[in-house]
Amino acid sequence: MKHVIIIGGGIAGMQCACTLADRGIAATIIEKEADLGGKIRSWHVLFPTFTSADEVLSAARRRLAQAENVTIRTGCEATKLTPKRVTLSTGEELECDAVVIATGFTLFDARLKEEYGYGIYDNVVTSADLEHMFNKGEVRLSSGQAPRRIALLHCVGSRDEKVCQRHCSKVCCVTGVKQAIELKKMFPTADVFNFYMDIRMFGPGYEEMYREAQLAHNVHFVRGRISEVSPTIDNRLQIKAEDTLTGRPLKMGIDMLVLLVGMRSNDWNTSLEAECGLKCQPSGFMQPKDSFLGNVESNVEGIFYAGTVTAPKNIGESINEGTAAALAAAEWISK
Amino acid sequence: MTFFAKFCIPFIIGTVSLFAIVLIKYISWLRDLPKSDLKLIIKGIPTHRTLTAIVEVVSESLLHRRIFRVNPLLGYMHMSLAFGWFLLIAVGWIETIAYLGFEWIPLQGHVFFKYFVPLNGITEHKPLFDFVMDFLLLFVLSGVALAWFKRMRSRAMGMKRTTKHTTFDRIALSSLWFIFPIRLLAESITAAIYGGGGFLTGGIGTLLSSMIDVNILTALYEPIWWLYSLALGTFFVAMPFSRYMHIFTEIPLIFLRHYRLKPEDKEKSYDNFEVEACSRCGICIDPCQLQLQLGINDVQSVYFLRDRRYNMLQQKIANNCLMCGRCEQTCPVGINLNTLRLNSRTSMRNIPNEGRYSYLRGLDRSEGEGQVGYFAGCMTLLTPNTMTSMQRIFEAAHEKVWWADKDGGVCCGRPLRLTGETDSAQKMVDYNKALFAKHNITTLVTSCPICLRVLREEYNLEGIEVLHHSEYILRLMRQGRLRVRYSSEQSFTYHDPCELGRGSGIYEEPRAVIEAIGQLLETEHNRKNAFCCGSSVANTAINDGQQLTIAQHVAAELDSTGAKTVVTACPQCKKAIVRGSKLKVMDLSEIVAQNLH
Amino acid sequence: MINFGFSINKPRTIDIDRNNLRKSNEIMHEMPELQTCIGCGTCTATCTAGNLTEFNFRKVHTLVRRGEYQGAYVEMNKCMLCGKCRLLCPRGINTRGVVMLIKRKLGDF
Repeated sequence: MKHVIIIGGGIAGMQCACTLADRGIAATIIEKEADLGGKIRSWHVLFPTFTSADEVLSAARRRLAQAENVTIRTGCEATKLTPKRVTLSTGEELECDAVVIATGFTLFDARLKEEYGYGIYDNVVTSADLEHMFNKGEVRLSSGQAPRRIALLHCVGSRDEKVCQRHCSKVCCVTGVKQAIELKKMFPTADVFNFYMDIRMFGPGYEEMYREAQLAHNVHFVRGRISEVSPTIDNRLQIKAEDTLTGRPLKMGIDMLVLLVGMRSNDWNTSLEAECGLKCQPSGFMQPKDSFLGNVESNVEGIFYAGTVTAPKNIGESINEGTAAALAAAEWISK
Repeated sequence: MTFFAKFCIPFIIGTVSLFAIVLIKYISWLRDLPKSDLKLIIKGIPTHRTLTAIVEVVSESLLHRRIFRVNPLLGYMHMSLAFGWFLLIAVGWIETIAYLGFEWIPLQGHVFFKYFVPLNGITEHKPLFDFVMDFLLLFVLSGVALAWFKRMRSRAMGMKRTTKHTTFDRIALSSLWFIFPIRLLAESITAAIYGGGGFLTGGIGTLLSSMIDVNILTALYEPIWWLYSLALGTFFVAMPFSRYMHIFTEIPLIFLRHYRLKPEDKEKSYDNFEVEACSRCGICIDPCQLQLQLGINDVQSVYFLRDRRYNMLQQKIANNCLMCGRCEQTCPVGINLNTLRLNSRTSMRNIPNEGRYSYLRGLDRSEGEGQVGYFAGCMTLLTPNTMTSMQRIFEAAHEKVWWADKDGGVCCGRPLRLTGETDSAQKMVDYNKALFAKHNITTLVTSCPICLRVLREEYNLEGIEVLHHSEYILRLMRQGRLRVRYSSEQSFTYHDPCELGRGSGIYEEPRAVIEAIGQLLETEHNRKNAFCCGSSVANTAINDGQQLTIAQHVAAELDSTGAKTVVTACPQCKKAIVRGSKLKVMDLSEIVAQNLH
Repeated sequence: MINFGFSINKPRTIDIDRNNLRKSNEIMHEMPELQTCIGCGTCTATCTAGNLTEFNFRKVHTLVRRGEYQGAYVEMNKCMLCGKCRLLCPRGINTRGVVMLIKRKLGDF
């Protein structure tokens, strides 16, 4: 029986394993965490439909449980790979017929944007922290009170030369709008402001959700990037931005600041380039063989990509790539 | 006795023109000196300063002690040419006296003495002088050989890059290269015909007479002395217009410097001495990070001074400098390169404007009250970790603090000064001075080395002690008002900010603070040789990508120390290094606040 | 001329057809990265001068790029050149260099 090793057990990797199993190919998922699911595990609901992340993940888990010949190796990492062999952090070497890399992305470390005060001031949180709070069912300030005025800042660690992240992370805009709506649902009397440079609503239903945020939820949108955050005497936060549409500086006291952190390429990508002959893009994400005809293939035959390892993508796109990578691998094996 | 031959004419013309031009330069520069500078000179002459200046002239202008420190071979080359030539002249003088007694002999008589000896019927042979003169000639020739060698392989002399020359430099350089080999040939041929000469000229003379017919040698005799005179004449004519003007400029410069003259914000006559004292040796090129890390090689101090001297300085050259001071550190002539660049910028950009910054009037956004004032500086407002850490340190030391610019203040004025708008920058200086005076502080602490420099150098804050936070923290620790935990588990490396280290001479205070908290691992380039982070406000010419490239180089060196944390003491440096380092980058105040007892 | 008792206002429209873009093009040629400005306003938000007086760096350089030079020199003279904006600009624009360049091109020197 042919055997494919999938590195990374996020949503793309899981989908890839299911598809391979359907085609009668054995799959092994290598996952560094203790559990499968990747980043979705910490998400609450998904844009633009507000579908529970858990629902999507459970469906994938169920399919995976029913699939035959799928081996799951959690708590270990791949250290070295060729199309025919993967070395694990345990020292084991696994033989295979093809490899799919579905290692995803790394969340941008918001502490690098020191002027926003993440890790310095209370009540400056990232979008990932906020999802965590949503999951716990409670969004509270450090004082235990409910926030009355919340600002969400777009493009933290994306499109920013100063942190060497030139690319657009694609999903933060829509996440920001989604989180604004969720906050408004939770605190109907609170003021929610989104500070943005550009709003990029690229997917189906996204623009409608943006409109809904404005019309049904009265979420404010200010076109201007926050320059810095400072504490106030009454333990709130003061933000500074330019309201570029009026051309005047704007400052505002808020209770909570949400930083919509972007997607960064994994540090591991550079060692893939150095040791496995795979190519990276200038952004650090892996370079597919061709951006039209070989999206899930790498420049090395027998190694395939699925999901956000090649670029920021939303969940639907990542799942599709899991399928596409599985099919491409299956075809290559049968040659 | 006659001491004239036709071939002496080029030499005489050269010498006369050289001395006339040098004299005109000296007189006009001294005449244009401001009154205060003249007073300093007059007061300084009858003091011990004159003696120490003479000692320095010998050790630098003749022996080139400082170049020896850059590279021994390079030092030897300069010394053999300068000191050797000087001795040739001096011993030559003594030689003529020894032969002829105290008698007035025209200059060419001394210089071409070997030519005139047989003509004047001097037959007495003084082997000691022949030996000494030949030895000295050999000494100079070894320097010339090294100069040729340096042209081809500068790396062997410790220099990766050498200066690109102007036309006058090339003329002077080429004639200089020929002077001594031709002299050797001329004296050897003379010895071949008339006998005499030391081990070198006499030896070659004997060899020549055995190999070549006497008639041919006699035919060559006049032309070779012509050639020697021409080489000298050409060199002397070109000299005051070329880099070799430094030979004559460095001497008065050393005296003036000992009388405490120095360049200032605005150009003045004294600058001429510094500008023309540059020998264009090019030692400043190698340490320059714009060259080292960005490959820009036409803006370094040597080219800046050259362009300024010939009145062809462009803004893009003057502005493209980090003013990190790495070149100043190595300049063997000790030229104040940063100040000269600054006053060039001032000449280009300073436009007095009384109405400028009138909006500052009556402004006061400070808060708190205390004897100690804290001036964060604009950049520190963007590194809130430093702000909150300083707050914790103040609280731990029970210090009452007046916060000058917590909610945004007025810039210290140094960034504007550095671009040359000196008079306008003074408006900010005046504003801040008045603000400090109004709040009756006795100590002013700042976290920004850029501010520190201008606060110390330009503010003249009477009754207020200005401290960088590294000095302040160390003082608190030594007074026992601040106690920190030590753990050998923690390892740090330290990046010296230019304005704090080379700029203000603060190297050891931050290190003492770090060593009280954990282990300090030094980088290869530290203290005076430390790299600049690349984000210096003094440079408005390089772009973001170039700043990043420099920062990445610097960060790579810091990362390679094996330390867990990079520590610096400047918000600008911190912001730069964060972009390139894989380690945690922290301000000095942060590690103190984190490890408070 | 007949005095109507009122003056005609300067036209509101930025008339690219009538504006002379020569200086603007020169500026863009010397500092091509200025074209990458996305108008996020971070520079103006953090601006030391802009928080104390009416000075909007983003607006001034955008108008200059459109060929509206009037008043640009005087406005840019309000800048203290402190460099906060350069530390924050997400496009990595050499903002201090832009201030100096605009003053050089549109001022008296």
